[in-house]
Amino acid sequence: MSQTAATGNGTSLLRMENVSRRFGMGAVAVEALRDISFGVHEGEFLVMVGPSGSGKTTILNILGGMDSVSEGRVWFRDEDLTEFTPAELTRYRRDSIGFVFQFYNLVPNLTARENVMVATEISRDPMAPEEALRLVGLEDRTEHFPSQLSGGEQQRVAIARAVAKNPVLLLCDEPTGALDFTTGKRVLRLLVDLKQTLGKTIVLITHNAAIAAAADRVVRLRSGQIVEVRENPSPTPPEEITW
Amino acid sequence: MTALNRKLLRDLKAAAGMLLAITGIITVGVTCYVGLGSSYHNLSEAKRRYYAQCRMADFSVELKKVPISELGAVAELPGVAEIRPRIQFFAAVDLEGVREPLNGLVLSLPDRAKPILDDVVVLRGSYFTDRRENEVLISESFAKAHRITPGQRIHLILNNRRQEVFVVGTAISSEFVYMLGPGAITPDPKHFGVFYLKHTFAEDVFDFSGAANQVLGRLDASARDRCPELLRRMESLLASYGVFTTTPLADQFSNRFLSQEIQGLWSFALITPTMFLAVAALVLNVFLTRLTRQQRTVIGTLKALGYSDRELFWHLQKLGVAVGLLGGLLGCALGFWLAGAMSSMYRLFFQFPEFENQWWLGTHLTGLGISVGCSVLGSLRGSRAVLRLHPAEAMRPAAPRQGGAVWLERVTWFWKPLSSGWRMVFRNTLRGRVRTIAGLFAAAMGASVLVNAWMMADSMTYFLDFQFRHLLRSDMDLSFKDERSDDALLEAARLPGVDKAEPYLAVACTFRKGPREKKGSITGLIRDAQLTVPRDRRARPIRVPAAGLAMSRTLAEILGVKPGDTVTIEPIQGLRIARTVPVCEIADSYYGLTVYADIHYLSRLVYEESALSGVQLALDRDPAHLAALYRELKRLPALEGVAARADVVAGIEETVLKHQWVVIDVMILFAGIVFFGSIVNASLVSLAERQREVATLRVLGYGPWQIGSLLLRESMIVTVIGTVIGMPMGYLLTLATIWSYNSEMFRVPIITTPGTWLWTLALAVLFGLTAHGFVQRSIHRTAWLDALKAQE
Repeated sequence: MSQTAATGNGTSLLRMENVSRRFGMGAVAVEALRDISFGVHEGEFLVMVGPSGSGKTTILNILGGMDSVSEGRVWFRDEDLTEFTPAELTRYRRDSIGFVFQFYNLVPNLTARENVMVATEISRDPMAPEEALRLVGLEDRTEHFPSQLSGGEQQRVAIARAVAKNPVLLLCDEPTGALDFTTGKRVLRLLVDLKQTLGKTIVLITHNAAIAAAADRVVRLRSGQIVEVRENPSPTPPEEITW
Repeated sequence: MTALNRKLLRDLKAAAGMLLAITGIITVGVTCYVGLGSSYHNLSEAKRRYYAQCRMADFSVELKKVPISELGAVAELPGVAEIRPRIQFFAAVDLEGVREPLNGLVLSLPDRAKPILDDVVVLRGSYFTDRRENEVLISESFAKAHRITPGQRIHLILNNRRQEVFVVGTAISSEFVYMLGPGAITPDPKHFGVFYLKHTFAEDVFDFSGAANQVLGRLDASARDRCPELLRRMESLLASYGVFTTTPLADQFSNRFLSQEIQGLWSFALITPTMFLAVAALVLNVFLTRLTRQQRTVIGTLKALGYSDRELFWHLQKLGVAVGLLGGLLGCALGFWLAGAMSSMYRLFFQFPEFENQWWLGTHLTGLGISVGCSVLGSLRGSRAVLRLHPAEAMRPAAPRQGGAVWLERVTWFWKPLSSGWRMVFRNTLRGRVRTIAGLFAAAMGASVLVNAWMMADSMTYFLDFQFRHLLRSDMDLSFKDERSDDALLEAARLPGVDKAEPYLAVACTFRKGPREKKGSITGLIRDAQLTVPRDRRARPIRVPAAGLAMSRTLAEILGVKPGDTVTIEPIQGLRIARTVPVCEIADSYYGLTVYADIHYLSRLVYEESALSGVQLALDRDPAHLAALYRELKRLPALEGVAARADVVAGIEETVLKHQWVVIDVMILFAGIVFFGSIVNASLVSLAERQREVATLRVLGYGPWQIGSLLLRESMIVTVIGTVIGMPMGYLLTLATIWSYNSEMFRVPIITTPGTWLWTLALAVLFGLTAHGFVQRSIHRTAWLDALKAQE
């Protein structure tokens, strides 16, 4: 299988070129990624699927400026992320990336609105927290603490937090992984709507292959390598997806 | 307010219990610093102003009698800026309505007010007028104690004559900030006062026309470090006039006490807060490291959102700064109050014209700065851990806590019989190294404060016992103006109420051994004296040698002599012929540089026939006899002074001992705060870290008391071991304390009793149990089911 994925239509927002990532040294070294090359187009909804240990989280962390590479280059537009200093990576994460985590990662002693504020206060051109929460349908729950929200609601707060920064790119790490089927579909619908209404570029990683049906393009990973890149010209609406 | 600051406030609120405990320790440290530091500045400033106001002399020379006209050579010595001749004598004081004769020091002042060395500050009435020759200014504290007001007349025994004097005013002087009468250890204004007479009147009554027996002097600023050399030159210039002593300001009694107290304050202002703040920093370190671990994912998320390391580091540091600020502000307020309380206590001992507790901005700012600095230091490790957290790594679950055997398990005979509960206790204690070390340090500091408190109490009790129940056993000591013959002893023995009378002879002399010399005096006693019984350091009686000296340990160390050596003694009065005498015994005393000899042997040494300086009396307990005795004593013109042992002991008990117990109570409170704060913090941190473990135990069937007993055992192990470590530290701290106060004239014995250690351990355990009460409450309140569901 070709290791170089077709970049597809559209401008490349992100490009990985011959990226490898190793953890540990010597006999205990683990190769999380092996010579990966692919791109993320502006405005697309890209889903990366693969089993546990396939390297998808590592890719997401690298794209998010949270992890480094052992070999290769990563381009964000025409800037080489692998050459960035820690301060430049911080700025990249602050200005360009919105991250959504599997377990929401909200600050427990801040309300929903304050959890969004935590992101908007450091952003250059943020959305109003209330607006972001309205986008995710939580305008009536702004003063609730995470412990007072359901899992789905917490995940929607996390999405609002990511979106409120007005990032170029949304990176979602198993956003439905901790949710039940119905709630998970609602969250997926939300992400698709955000892509359509706000024109966000979304990269979503999941072990759940069914979710790939909602993507514009699917990248399949196994054992740190890309095994397939597939265009999806007719993405399935999240309501019609089952798993 | 930013969302991060709101998070900070809520973190503070959630951990309020633990943070208050830490704040308590910081507050104690800052209170000590500000309280002691402010007291240091209060006393230093009062001393500086007072000495300047009274033009305190740099030296004094006491001699038999010198014509004032012969003092020109002294005044002209290079380095001597100014001299003032003065007449001084001890005198008995006869007050109407006061049955016992009282003691006084009579000093001359110029007939007209002018700036002089060792000047006085008139508080009530006025300086001398032209209306009478026999006007007197009396020391304010004596006047107050006896309700004497200007305009009254009193009687002094001057030069063997009962003399009426007119009280024109009351005064104080910088040379008597700490006013001690003969044989006293603490000020006793009821029994001792200073009486200032016109110089012309003093010349008359003491037959000192154109003469003086004391020379006060001031040196040029550039000559102050040559004071010893200048005093030696003065001594040789005035040798033919019978120089008794030369005293630089540093050795002047009042100044010495005051300066030592000031110096002691400064030492304590540095040492004591350091101990408490070090504990606070360690305990805060444990807390914040735990917080960072607990908030690992939150911190990783914030990094993923784009917060920089510097912003997150500062966010966590703010928590430490908040604790430091709160502790510092509270400590400053309490420290100011403490300084006020100490000022009230000092007013009982020291007399100043003005002595107020002032607000020293520098001290408060430094206290606040130290508090914040210490908290920042304590927060550093936890905050720096944030820097090391890679955002990606923070998202992953934390590596499980290290398991494995601890070293104690290799001691199989001990380990094998242990229950699973005890095994958990020991493993947790040994694995949580930083927390355990912090707990040990805190317990050691608390214990050392307690040991210090008990030892100081025991030392003062022993001092009183040794000095006034074993060594000095007379009920009353009479001292004569001039040496008397054996008739005085017979006369004294016949006084009403006297069961026993023993003579003593005091010979002032210079002791020499090789290049070393020291001025002091020898007290001659009868060989089997019962009313002064020289003792060794175990309080065993020493028999006065038939021929030779029993020398105080301190003087022997100064001269570098031991039993069997000889010293040269040169009497300051009389024939002044140097004699070489053997040192036969070392006698211990905690006050003065006492040397004892057989009274007859001593008389022969100084070429006197059966002379005595005074008589010691043992009295019966009949109050009627005592009243009669006092009446008789008042009629004795040859009497220079009367000292009642009961009065001296009562003075010490009323002043030193009473306040000592206040100080001890405060020290116990401070130690308690340290123990309490450290144990509560460590236990609650441990509980927070082991919520799942605790919840699992609950599911298994453990009750909250059983879980509490696990934590109690852990905290007791640390408390007891830390306390045991702290005991020798407390001993060393007490040594340092005593060393800072000891001088040639006054030494505190180092005493420990089994009670010292037992009480320290008992209190440590009590504080530990009290602290555990809060922890137990927390265990009862923990929603353990939620803990099983919770993720960090």
